[in-house]
Amino acid sequence: MSRPDPLLTKHFDETRLHELETFRRLGGYEGLKKALAMGREALMAEMNKSNLRGLGGAGFGAAMKWSTVIPEAKNPGPRYVVVNCDESEPGCFKDRVLVTRSPHALIEGLLIAAYAIDAQRAFIFIRGEYELQHRILQKALDEARAAGLVGEHILGSGFSCAIDLMRGAGAYISGLDTALLETMEGKKAWPRQPPPFPTAAGLMGRPTVVNNVETLSMVPHIVLRGGEWFAKLGTAKSGGTVLFSVSGHVEKPGVYEFPMGTPLREILAAAGGVKGGKRLKAVIPGGVSTPVLTADELDIPMDFEAPRAKGTFLGAGGVIVLDETADMVMVAHNIERFLAHESCGQCTPCRQGSFWHERILERGLSGGGTAQDLATLERAGENITGKVICALGDTVGVVTRALMKKFPEDFKAKFPERRG
Amino acid sequence: MSAFNLEQEKVLESWTQRYPASIMGLVEALRQVQQWHRCVTDEDEEYLAGLFAVPRSRIHEVATFFQSFTRKPTGRHRIGICRGLSCSLAGSKEMCSCLEKKLGIKEGETTADGRFSLETMECLGACDQAPALLINDELKGAATEELVAKLVEELK
Repeated sequence: MSRPDPLLTKHFDETRLHELETFRRLGGYEGLKKALAMGREALMAEMNKSNLRGLGGAGFGAAMKWSTVIPEAKNPGPRYVVVNCDESEPGCFKDRVLVTRSPHALIEGLLIAAYAIDAQRAFIFIRGEYELQHRILQKALDEARAAGLVGEHILGSGFSCAIDLMRGAGAYISGLDTALLETMEGKKAWPRQPPPFPTAAGLMGRPTVVNNVETLSMVPHIVLRGGEWFAKLGTAKSGGTVLFSVSGHVEKPGVYEFPMGTPLREILAAAGGVKGGKRLKAVIPGGVSTPVLTADELDIPMDFEAPRAKGTFLGAGGVIVLDETADMVMVAHNIERFLAHESCGQCTPCRQGSFWHERILERGLSGGGTAQDLATLERAGENITGKVICALGDTVGVVTRALMKKFPEDFKAKFPERRG
Repeated sequence: MSAFNLEQEKVLESWTQRYPASIMGLVEALRQVQQWHRCVTDEDEEYLAGLFAVPRSRIHEVATFFQSFTRKPTGRHRIGICRGLSCSLAGSKEMCSCLEKKLGIKEGETTADGRFSLETMECLGACDQAPALLINDELKGAATEELVAKLVEELK
């Protein structure tokens, strides 16, 4: 069976795709036109059929999220759409690529989302380190405004929406929706503990939809060809295609688009396989926050459901390939050090637990580890996961235990039984 | 006396007007201050507290939470080495040692002439171009010892 056309990366060979003229020539903004013509009810009907899931990592149904925004009649006042372009999960760079190559696709999807929830103002929050992408979006927005696609009476319709940019300042946790909103409100990026969820009370207490760059970029395709068509591209519960950022010990690192449910093996093959023909040891499937897989576990279909059977998840599709030279204790240390550094500090199990994970793993790497440390890590992990406000804390406990479980020999070597 | 000249004060003021609520401009304003002063000082915080009409502790909380903002001045050229997993696998540690030797400083320090500062950064989203560096606002992917030597030579 032949693979369907990609959606987001289809025109990536067009070097000027980021320019409005080229984008429009290739059918850009036809989705927006159609959405405005079909009306909100028909639009939501297509979104509901699509099975579009949140592609920033959480996989929450996009239509479900939009439909929980309390309508204007019941909650008069502004509502907002915020684009999460804070991409900071190690292993993930697909949003960077999307914004660089196709900023107008994001703007179009954003406008349709704003129309759906009747938001007159939208924001694109970009991580502070993506300055090039910030400039590209500024330019694209200028083009869109000049063409009447953003601002008052879009395309001559009754719908108006202004789009603003805002930059972050170097915090991974700003990528979590409620922490992103805190950052936007001029505060330290401490995640909130819902309820209320952002669609009830988000930015400045107003109903807010926070969606990932890739998620919104998919929306015009759903409008143009229908939710049912989009859903069928994927699996039963995960519709459409998805972008994988492939890196690590791989021949051709880069972004690869595949239908939901594609086996991990196929994605690895598309990226040229293990670099230098070395033996594959492990694959982290969805960004460092997702539990590791062994070389024997590559037949997993990559959607939001199937990987759970092997104890991991799709996350944000950051595929990190590890060959035989990789030491899993080093990998664990690298990730826990990252989490400890990025922990906002709000919850004791995460703040303390991430620090101790890093410290113990460091001890293992520098020759002072003992088998007792492994028992400590196991117990500590259990006491952190599920006992914190946000997923960063959960990850602290999950990541090391998964590496320990799948690669016990690496850990035994660095944490030997004490003799005498 | 203000920490900023008239022109700069105007720029900071514009950030209080940009978004639906004045305080929403704080992070952008702090980014601007960091760019001008290469750090955020007590004096800067006092000024911003007045500008945004919040207690100074609110400014301090944000200025000390985010990695972009520093208390001590960074170099004119702020070099960040990505220590994300993919970059670590591609030799970021060796890149760091190489830069430490070339610049004559340790990670976390600034050269005496104020030209360069060196720090590690978390994943820069350039895993396909590992190992990656961020020099002020510019990403330099696929960094090599040669590239680094050339940069140190060229950047004044």
